[in-house]
Amino acid sequence: MVFNEHVKIREEKFGAVIFETLSEKIFITNETGLKILQLIEQGKDLPQIVDELKKIYIDNPQAEKDVTDFIGCLKGNNLIGSKLGEENEHRSAYGKIT
Amino acid sequence: MNIEARTEKSLNANHDILKAIEEGTRFEDYKAPLFVAWQINSKCNLGCLHCCEEAGQSMPDEMNKQETFRFLEQIAEAKIPYVAFSGGEPLLHPHFFQMCEYLRKNNVNLKVETNGEFIDEKTADRLVALKFRSVQISLDGATAATHEKLRLAGDWEKAIDACRLLIKKGVTTEVVFVPTQFNIHETGDLIDLAGSLGVYGVYTGKIMRIGRAAKNWDILNPSDEEYEKFFTVLNEKTAAYKGKMKVYYYPYDVLEELKYRLEYPSASILVIPNGKVKLIGPLPFLCGDLKKQSLVEVWRDYQKAWRNPEVIEFTKKVLADSRLLSQSNNWKEI
Repeated sequence: MVFNEHVKIREEKFGAVIFETLSEKIFITNETGLKILQLIEQGKDLPQIVDELKKIYIDNPQAEKDVTDFIGCLKGNNLIGSKLGEENEHRSAYGKIT
Repeated sequence: MNIEARTEKSLNANHDILKAIEEGTRFEDYKAPLFVAWQINSKCNLGCLHCCEEAGQSMPDEMNKQETFRFLEQIAEAKIPYVAFSGGEPLLHPHFFQMCEYLRKNNVNLKVETNGEFIDEKTADRLVALKFRSVQISLDGATAATHEKLRLAGDWEKAIDACRLLIKKGVTTEVVFVPTQFNIHETGDLIDLAGSLGVYGVYTGKIMRIGRAAKNWDILNPSDEEYEKFFTVLNEKTAAYKGKMKVYYYPYDVLEELKYRLEYPSASILVIPNGKVKLIGPLPFLCGDLKKQSLVEVWRDYQKAWRNPEVIEFTKKVLADSRLLSQSNNWKEI
């Protein structure tokens, strides 16, 4: 998973703010969301993120679904692509590939 | 970490973790602005009848190179995600490219708002290399005659050529269009022209009664009937270009914007060429001075200023009498 090139993330006291600067849409998330964003930035895949979250939040049976939902939300808002190819598709839509 | 502490945190309802900002925090919750709109200079080669900054000549007290770079460093330190450079004509700023290079090296996304007249092959290549979020070009007509009637000394062909050049080189290019009595009838044709050029998006909205536009208000402001047709055209074009080009229009006028901002100030600051910080474009209030204060101090003062009774009272007067918007450039420190 990679962040769209126009996405900027900044840690805040409530968690994080996510700014998609091309669409100028702003989202906020809490500390849990921030942790997931950091793991995505580190290049972790979904099972690794779930494992990390389980360490922090004990063995929560909902963890995998919750993380999947959150990541789905990020994808739905065009904040991340599943892999480099997807992000490139997004770029090409804006005429970015030269 | 003990178990109790760990179980205090829950992963439940994760679909609610991500929220659009409208449902989220107040501007006071942010440690720094999310966006800086920076009028980096006042010098401009044009004399647009509707210029909200009344640009033309340089201000005598514009930020020098040292002051400019001190502010740039603070933008990077504060991790401000997004900065827009405007002017005047920003490409006439002597350190424009150095400033852009600094911000891009520090991972700040950048937009430049320009009349496009100084974008030749070489300049376009430099803009390409900097990977701007976008270059936004002002295009106030679908024809040269209309564009140049409003943008005095302007050259429509140069603006069009700049769009073509940037798009050819892969720069995300946007067009901004300000409707007036002179050009509102060309709205549809302008959007079609932008579509044929291959721009990423066209941005428009009602003309703001500030700066030179306020002085020329009677000859510029479209009638209600003209605005009605304008929004009809925009709705049609938005649908027609869906998925191909973004057609965005801000549906509110400046008074509606002010009313909203009084309650929900934005997490952004507007910096003018001399380093002073305006509370918001349509109001005359200055709430900071980046030559004398740090960004942290300015951000704190910006937040306080929105709760200042003088600001609240004046804004309410403006809402009652829009002619007071003409005072927007009679700056007043608070």
